[in-house]
Amino acid sequence: MGVRSAAKEMHERDHTSDSSSLVTSLMKSWRISSASSSSKKPSLYKMNTTESASLPSGYISSANRDRRTSDGNFEAMTKQQTSTKRTSNSYSPLRYVSPTLSTASNESPRPALLLRQHHHRQHHHHHQQPRHSSSGSVNNSNTNTSTDPNRKNDRYFKDLDEDWSAVIDDYNMPIPILTNGGFGIPVAPKRTLSRSSTSSSVNSTSNMGPSTVRNSSSSFTYPQLPQLQKEQTNEPKKTELEIKNERDAQELNSIIQRISKFDNILKDKIIINQQDLRQISWNGIPKIHRPVVWKLLIGYLPVNTKRQESFLQRKRKEYKDGLKHTFSDQHSRDIPTWHQIEIDIPRTNPHIPLYQFKSVQASLQRILYLWAIRHPASGYVQGINDLVTPFFETFLTEYLPPSQIEDVEIKDPSTYMTDENVANLEADTFWCLTKLLEQITDNYIHGQPGILRQVKNLSQLVKRIDADLYNHFQNEHVEFIQFAFRWMNCLLMREFQMATVIRMWDTYLSETSQEVASSYSISSNDIKTPVTPTEPRVASFVTPTADFQSPTAALSNMTPNNVVEDSNKMRQSSLNEFHVFVCAAFLIKWSDQLMDMDFQETITFLQNPPTKDWTETDIEMLLSEAFIWQSLYKDATSHWL
Amino acid sequence: MNTSTAAIPKLTIKVVFLGESAVGKSSIVLRFVSDDFTESREPTIGAAFLTKRTTRDGNTIKFEIWDTAGQERFAPLAPMYYRNAQAAVVVFDITNEHSFHKAEDWVKELHEKAGNDIVIALVANKMDLLNVQGTILDEAVNEEEVDSFCQREGLLYFKASAKTGENIHEIFQTVGEKIPYSKQSPRRGSDHDLTITDDQRIDLQSTTVEGTKETGGCNC
Repeated sequence: MGVRSAAKEMHERDHTSDSSSLVTSLMKSWRISSASSSSKKPSLYKMNTTESASLPSGYISSANRDRRTSDGNFEAMTKQQTSTKRTSNSYSPLRYVSPTLSTASNESPRPALLLRQHHHRQHHHHHQQPRHSSSGSVNNSNTNTSTDPNRKNDRYFKDLDEDWSAVIDDYNMPIPILTNGGFGIPVAPKRTLSRSSTSSSVNSTSNMGPSTVRNSSSSFTYPQLPQLQKEQTNEPKKTELEIKNERDAQELNSIIQRISKFDNILKDKIIINQQDLRQISWNGIPKIHRPVVWKLLIGYLPVNTKRQESFLQRKRKEYKDGLKHTFSDQHSRDIPTWHQIEIDIPRTNPHIPLYQFKSVQASLQRILYLWAIRHPASGYVQGINDLVTPFFETFLTEYLPPSQIEDVEIKDPSTYMTDENVANLEADTFWCLTKLLEQITDNYIHGQPGILRQVKNLSQLVKRIDADLYNHFQNEHVEFIQFAFRWMNCLLMREFQMATVIRMWDTYLSETSQEVASSYSISSNDIKTPVTPTEPRVASFVTPTADFQSPTAALSNMTPNNVVEDSNKMRQSSLNEFHVFVCAAFLIKWSDQLMDMDFQETITFLQNPPTKDWTETDIEMLLSEAFIWQSLYKDATSHWL
Repeated sequence: MNTSTAAIPKLTIKVVFLGESAVGKSSIVLRFVSDDFTESREPTIGAAFLTKRTTRDGNTIKFEIWDTAGQERFAPLAPMYYRNAQAAVVVFDITNEHSFHKAEDWVKELHEKAGNDIVIALVANKMDLLNVQGTILDEAVNEEEVDSFCQREGLLYFKASAKTGENIHEIFQTVGEKIPYSKQSPRRGSDHDLTITDDQRIDLQSTTVEGTKETGGCNC
């Protein structure tokens, strides 16, 4: 059983409750300690129903198409919310556990106990990996490489502690009062009662929460609690419909809340906080914000909002000039490249109507060709035509009214775009594609060493995580490169539907390191900002890089002073590395099935995995699992890669 | 398992498809395997694996097909797939002369590196385009040149169209007949084929190095 079943359990839990996003945020926040670490006095939030109900439908639809309800339902539900006068903290089903737990908390007030329970939890976690029979097990390597394991553990637990609440913040935070435009919303209390309920639901060690609450809650009051109990007694029975509506309302709340969180980071700011943005974007970006956020995350758009306009003008002009030059008489056409792109364009996303429109095909042709001739070491490689499309499609939504964002894949852009629009869209897509490919250049240069290295890393990783599957592959002579080459070459794009891919890219682009972006802010402010503090990847969970022997990791040893020169190589590590963990999680997801398959069945299955019906929730589970693996194995990779 | 309904094949033939990008390798395989055709197929990345059972002299024979990606950048992977193949189908686009020259290169490479036993078939695909237009296109391949090349190299030659299905089954039938039963790859296990055995195993490490070395930029 082991880890595989743990991951599976997590997956199943996702289907039985709404905790998937909890897990996602939890996993993410393991590494990045909560930005809002300062403890703030909790305040009682009330949902402003007028505000939320009047949001344009594009806002609602922007988070999850599958869960979208019609506007009418939405309005009904908001009314329902008003009538029950609940504070939104009570919206989480997890909250209902709280009262009992709070009583229990009286019995376990000691902080020492808390720590012990955390220890217990970690052990529990590691016990779930019985396949660590080899000396390269994570436990061993952690102990070996860390000079002071206890201290490390403390730090780890401290992070974990904060993150329990961070998770709840994300999920449970009431709809902010939007009368001030949604700005300056106080962050929900760091340590709230609700954390105990989360921990009990996320983890079986349900006693650990209460003691924490007791420790930290002395200065807080929880006005919601009596109301909650009252509500429970007054309405003991709810119809299924009510429960469903409530859940939908809750989802909508969290959507609106997410949107306002993004607003909070993006609007009326002179300098956008990249770290906050990365942290929140990892868990998904509302459609309405996605184009801008992607441009920020990838390091295209400057974080200094005052510079953004002039910057965009300059880059868009640069692209247009590049085109003009490339297609002028002075420049001889690279016929083979042009031809290759020309035959691949109609074959790109052939199932999506958008890519059949002539205007779109012409745009992609220009973007890809210009990129190819400007990057002769790599040139155009099949798969890059896939990678350009999420950018193109996402940025295209900027030119659609929010209510029509959903139709981006079926509307002909030439019906709503001016020539100027098209040129700007192409330029933005071109530069973001450039930024992305900078991070994975090794994948496309001759011999594709980046891909071969990643495939090898994947096999080594699976050997550690799921030895049974690895051995089964060995017995059946299934080679990783036979199925994983495409996974690396197209960043798993061929394995998923476009909507899922785009959600995945929210996380991937959050994983791109931000040296690029910070270099913009340096130049804009003329301040020599040190890079390290803004680097979220430097987290307490990571061992000293000196112990890390892999080539990419060795590069992250570079001091910030070298960053400008070496940033290109340094950036290679994060996205590529995370992607390997995602691939591992993806493979292991099918482990039970694959164990019963022979060579032919295995290859056939992996060439066409059953992901057609995957929703954003599924992909979020996958990313969470990948994050867990990365957290557990990152330090150990030096010993076997 | 897939063997419950079909008989255990008396012969399993491993076939590798090679050729320039977009000449129709995947389409030929798709036509053969599931008698289907789509105008726009996503470019193959790495290689695709498909199987098909047919009969010969009343015996079941099984084709295991590795359909490789055509773009030059993926060429270093090809040895991994053709090294243990009993047959190679090299495809070019009859309307595209360059794709024929690329096919010539593949044939040479196969002769040099794939061993003498490998059966090589050359396929001129997209014959329907010639038939429809009735005239020879500017870029179309000179068929006399193709004929002399085939004779010189001792190749099977087919004019085919994945779109119309013309000659597709004949390719596999003829290739299959060229492989004697004695060439059956060693089998392990009782109920199904394990056609890639230890000695034939694709070795990622060595292939990587070798493949990179082999091509060493000379293909550009």
